[in-house]
Amino acid sequence: MENRPNIRPGFDPMLAGKRAECDGGGLVPGSRYAARQEFTGTLTGEYYDEGEPAWRWYLMNELTHKPANFPYAAVWCESESIFLLNPLSRSEQA
Amino acid sequence: MSKDPLHTRLCDQLGIEYPIVAFTHCKDVAVAVINSGGFAVLGEAMHTPDEIAADIKWIRDRIDGKPFGIDLVLPASAPAEASLDDIKAKIPQSHRDYEQMIMKKYDVPMPKKGVDLHQWGGLNQALGRAQLDVLLEESVPVIASGLGSPAFLLDAAHERGSLVWGLVGRKRQAKRQIDAGVDAVIAQGFDAAGHTGDVGTLSIVAEVAAIAGDTPVIAAGGITTGRHLAAALCLGASGVWTGTLWLACRESDVDMLIKERLIAATADDTTWSDSISGFTMRVLKCPWTEEWKKPDAPRPLESPYQMILSSDYIQGSNDHRRGDLMTEASGQGVGFVTEMKPARQIVFDVVEEALATFDDLVGLPD
Repeated sequence: MENRPNIRPGFDPMLAGKRAECDGGGLVPGSRYAARQEFTGTLTGEYYDEGEPAWRWYLMNELTHKPANFPYAAVWCESESIFLLNPLSRSEQA
Repeated sequence: MSKDPLHTRLCDQLGIEYPIVAFTHCKDVAVAVINSGGFAVLGEAMHTPDEIAADIKWIRDRIDGKPFGIDLVLPASAPAEASLDDIKAKIPQSHRDYEQMIMKKYDVPMPKKGVDLHQWGGLNQALGRAQLDVLLEESVPVIASGLGSPAFLLDAAHERGSLVWGLVGRKRQAKRQIDAGVDAVIAQGFDAAGHTGDVGTLSIVAEVAAIAGDTPVIAAGGITTGRHLAAALCLGASGVWTGTLWLACRESDVDMLIKERLIAATADDTTWSDSISGFTMRVLKCPWTEEWKKPDAPRPLESPYQMILSSDYIQGSNDHRRGDLMTEASGQGVGFVTEMKPARQIVFDVVEEALATFDDLVGLPD
């Protein structure tokens, strides 16, 4: 990430510590196929926006559900692919 | 019956005659379907931004102003660390030995050139972003995302006159995208080729149609006949997304050896396997997929390890045109792909059969 242009990091305290699921996935390396991957974990609140229009990604760690043998401790999730397990209350959204 | 059952909301949205969307990686197929009254979306996930721009021009030069679409695989997640060398080093020796056993047993030739794995990890996001910028610059009529949500680009796309479609495998993904304002949702079921969700086509299409409101729903997964089209419309879809249907058509650039296998195949000849990429995907059975099912086979690794492990077999088979080894993503509807017909003929056959189906059920309009 550090080597990519047009990256704007940030932190959203409202989401820090929230449990969430991510309907993730991406392009299978070396192929033209998309593949789905599902995660459950805790959002750290860290995010970055890439380019214009901004494409936002949140960091999820403490993964309690991930693909078998997924070798990483954390995953970046595209914002619209995240589903909070306990949605924000109205006061939190305000 | 008071209206043409095949004239749907999707037809109005696109100004097309038939609610048939061809998803293809072949430009010739796309042009043939578009010029036959259907719609086509060209899969460009593997292409560079420059190649995409060239393909857009090539298509525009041949379709006389008609609309078309480009599909990208927008990633929805990415590992938080990345090093291809680290990944390669972590492949267990037991799996390397099993791969070598298969390569020797079937005399699999090595690839003619190195396998391209450049989209791995964070580069996946950077590539998607660069591809997307081309689609926005070119004001492509339809921008389709084959995986991740395209919601973030809606305003920018609409300002340029582009429609945005998203492909979903679960109801909650559909709701999120519909609420965001996508212009159509492709509801893809388990019957589909490649990496699918685990909900069947019959269920996911009806579930998404029930919450879609005025947003057109396009049914995907195992659709290869006019009866499938009629059924999808009855489920509440406004059209169908078809991929396998075009693989063996005359214009398709798929290898002739694969075309012959597709034409001979039935649903039983497809398998849902994670032995190629580490992700489960539906493909034609081949020695590689069958060897990994054996009781003494190691459990396939997670992506990207398994993809790296299978890459020499896949690329070597394709490079040297070994029909006994090759495979291709194929949906369960492949049993109805029985001839190598021109794309135009396929469009008309599907339309004719769908109309005949409606006629059998309720009679056709005067």
